[in-house]
Amino acid sequence: MQQPAEGSHVHEGVVEHPAASDFGQARILPTDRNWFQRAVFYEVLVRAFYDTNDDGSGDLHGLIRQLDYLEWLGIDCLWLPPFYDSPLRDGGYDIRDFYKVLPEFGTVDDFVELLDAAHKRGIRVITDLVMNHTSDQHPWFQESRREPDGPYGDYYVWSDTDQRYADARIIFVDTEESNWTFDPVRRQFFWHRFFSHQPDLNYDNPQVQLEMLNVIRFWLDLGIDGFRLDAVPYLFEREGTNCENLPETHAFLKTCRKIVDEEFPGRVLLAEANQWPSDVVEYFGDPDTGGDECHMAFHFPLMPRIFMAVRRESRFPISEILAQTPPIPANCQWGIFLRNHDELTLEMVTDEERDYMYAEYAKDPRMRANVGIRRRLAALLDNDRNQVELFTALLLSLPGSPVIYYGDEIGMGDNIWLGDRDGVRTPMQWTPDRNAGFSRANPGRVYVPPNQDAVFGYQAVNVEAQRDSSATLLNWTRTMVAVRRRHEAFAVGTFQELGGSNPSVLAFLRQAGDDVVLCVNNLSRFPQPIELNLADWAGYEPIELTGRVPFPRIGQLPYLLTLQGHGFYWFRLNRPAEVE
Amino acid sequence: MLPFAEWLPQQRWYAGRQRELVSAESVAITPLHDHDLEHRLLLVSYADGGSERYQLFIAWDQPPADEFTAVATIGAAGDRTGYDALFHEPAARHLLALVAEGARRGELRFTPEPGASLPVAAGSRVMDAEQTNTSVVYDRTALLKVFRRVQAGINPDLELNRVLARAGSPHVAKLLGAIDGVDPEGNPMSLAMVTEYAENAADGWAMATTSTRDLFAEADLRADEVGGDFSAESHRLGEAVASVHRTLAEELGSAPAAPPIETMTDRLAAAIEAVPALASRAGAARKVFEAAGTSRIRMQRIHGDLHLGQVLRTPEHWLLIDFEGEPGTPIAERRRPDSPLRDVAGVLRSFEYAAYQLLVGESVEEQLIYRAQEWIARNEAAFCDGYASVAGTDPREQKALLAAYELDKAVYEAAYEARHRPSWLWIPMRSIDRLLAVGFL
Repeated sequence: MQQPAEGSHVHEGVVEHPAASDFGQARILPTDRNWFQRAVFYEVLVRAFYDTNDDGSGDLHGLIRQLDYLEWLGIDCLWLPPFYDSPLRDGGYDIRDFYKVLPEFGTVDDFVELLDAAHKRGIRVITDLVMNHTSDQHPWFQESRREPDGPYGDYYVWSDTDQRYADARIIFVDTEESNWTFDPVRRQFFWHRFFSHQPDLNYDNPQVQLEMLNVIRFWLDLGIDGFRLDAVPYLFEREGTNCENLPETHAFLKTCRKIVDEEFPGRVLLAEANQWPSDVVEYFGDPDTGGDECHMAFHFPLMPRIFMAVRRESRFPISEILAQTPPIPANCQWGIFLRNHDELTLEMVTDEERDYMYAEYAKDPRMRANVGIRRRLAALLDNDRNQVELFTALLLSLPGSPVIYYGDEIGMGDNIWLGDRDGVRTPMQWTPDRNAGFSRANPGRVYVPPNQDAVFGYQAVNVEAQRDSSATLLNWTRTMVAVRRRHEAFAVGTFQELGGSNPSVLAFLRQAGDDVVLCVNNLSRFPQPIELNLADWAGYEPIELTGRVPFPRIGQLPYLLTLQGHGFYWFRLNRPAEVE
Repeated sequence: MLPFAEWLPQQRWYAGRQRELVSAESVAITPLHDHDLEHRLLLVSYADGGSERYQLFIAWDQPPADEFTAVATIGAAGDRTGYDALFHEPAARHLLALVAEGARRGELRFTPEPGASLPVAAGSRVMDAEQTNTSVVYDRTALLKVFRRVQAGINPDLELNRVLARAGSPHVAKLLGAIDGVDPEGNPMSLAMVTEYAENAADGWAMATTSTRDLFAEADLRADEVGGDFSAESHRLGEAVASVHRTLAEELGSAPAAPPIETMTDRLAAAIEAVPALASRAGAARKVFEAAGTSRIRMQRIHGDLHLGQVLRTPEHWLLIDFEGEPGTPIAERRRPDSPLRDVAGVLRSFEYAAYQLLVGESVEEQLIYRAQEWIARNEAAFCDGYASVAGTDPREQKALLAAYELDKAVYEAAYEARHRPSWLWIPMRSIDRLLAVGFL
């Protein structure tokens, strides 16, 4: 008899999976169906965070060990990229067994322990679920290629020709030439939207749908708070389409949502759909129901435009994309981010904008990957503290729940000499000690070397050094996260751009009931004046949020502010009655 | 009787500052609401024998918010006090309501555009910083532009905005309505127009100088290397201008005619009086004008006074605004067809100003000038590329004609700068020399 911790196994041609009841169950936080609308997310790679067993790779126990740090920082929810068993040819997104934790990270029981420890601190945990494809080493695929007529023969998309679905674009243009790859065992082509070692599951097979719903139930039963659904637009294929955002895909996601609502209320589904906002809103589902598909979706096109706007010292790249962003259903939320474990993706920009971004932010070709830029926030901004703060302030104040990428809160840099996207996945820099305090392993054994750059290296940039000084980026970030938490408007407020004749200044109001926040951002490196039309708020008194400093009361005349280069203000607007 | 003669000269839009005012009298009074809101036409007579007509909306005994009493108080007449009604919210709202209902009051006709929806219940505020008109913004969505100096005839701003809006052009603030009247001689005249208001907009001048500021702050980088590169915007602006030209030609027609070379040489002669340094360049300048030829070119309605300050960047589009031309010149002249190249030249000239303006008041550094020229060339090329991509013809192909229009504009600028801003005079003079040098190639 197979041990549950060893995951799935093949028994007489049938792939058998463990059940949630084989494991413990984490304590559950009180049901709150909208917690994600207010949450600050933190993306952390298990491998990169903290190593407790000295093997040079981070593990689940390491994450548990550092939960106090994340609680101190003010994080509401961890997002863990995949930690499932995997041959690791795509950073774990090539899943070999949905029911097993990658052994170097720990076990399913360790994960339950992490969930429990996080919940104890009021921190939720979501993880990536790759629904579109598996590793070619997944037993389903092995059975499928071995036995075309067996129970798994139809689990993947097979074809005698490589000419079908010709309208679907190739996503990983650096490595792939076709979405079809010939399998010498089955002597057919199999379909893959990503790497050729990641065959796409065949969602037209009801059995595949059932299998994936079982995977979802398994982890939710253990207590996980939700999933980031990876590569979600590509589940189905239809001839004559680009095979993205198909109605069948939306129908299946609605089924997933129904299970969550009925069996696991308060857990979330977050869509990773790198598409235009007008297409992405489809993933929220029916607005009349408040949303009946995914609770959240990433807003991809916003991020490159923040970079573009600051480099051009013009708000219009941001204004444009926000003006093109349709309203979303009441119980939904955007996820916004500046950087994540992938490249800074430039798929949702025009050719001209892409050339511009490469020229400005990736002067060295090594900084580029696929259609994007593989660099970290501080490095992209030339380690300019003012700019890092401005970007972070935008992240925390624009509409959506912010996702902070691990290490960006201390201003970690990247290592462009590492292959693929490993350059932005180096170990968390905890201390100036050996291996950045990340691991006690022999330095040669660490999965990738910690950053040793003169400016960004762990001797200069680490948590220990920054935690004890109030002037550091780390403490500044913590303060701003705390300020954000005090104002409902940042989380669920309406968004209204205020315009103004100075194109370098982006000013907007966030409003949730009586909570009114005014954000004024100088995208230029030079000092700038701005006259804002705030006549609708005549009589109100702006109170600066970090120091509670009262500013002159708003009158009928344009409200004049001056900002230092890359400076910004957050104000709450106090009602006239409260001023007295 | 209200003290107009004292009040008028303090208003920013008053154009008679260089002249001696003799009298300012009401020549027509139209009640608009009970006894507290009325429209007046003023005849302003000058000592030089000339006169101008101004219009006013007057609110009686209704002071605006405190901040505006100083600017809005016209004065007392008997026991009543008259205020500029545009600053009084209920009065401003009433004017918009009259437009919405298509009202007629005496000789004043208020006309909504077909299908237009007007924010009649909205709050209002007078916009700052206007030179010749006064604009009231309603609810961040609509704008009432009141022409201060009025003349017989349809104001080209209203005329062309109506044509462009009805043709569905995305490059103007859509017209929503208008107010017309008649002068004492019985001739119709445009008084005001209502358009959509682009709340989130910045003008092309602010956008372009943001870019040149960035350029000058970089020690070594060139115009195509700096982050503040403006050429993508210039390209889109070129597309927008060409699109407006095409719509105007389609809607109002075009016809071949000789280029207005005589006007150009006349302007040059007049400018020499203000800028003596032009005299030595007059011969060469006339050659440039003559090189533009007498063969007939396509003439049509154009903007007429296009520069970066007359275009607005919104999140969606570039908009062209202020089609009224120079308010000091007669309306018939302002409505005269001309070559689209005049507008193109206006923008090209404006690029030079955007680049050089930041250097005004400093000792000239040739290295900065050189880099400014690279910026100008890059943006001119991008603008012309954008224009050509929509128009189908590249303005640079009509090299001699374009040079004549640019030179004409530079000559006008030189005269203006010599009178008003002598420290800026070097900008057009430098351009004139460049254009004359090109002319001899």
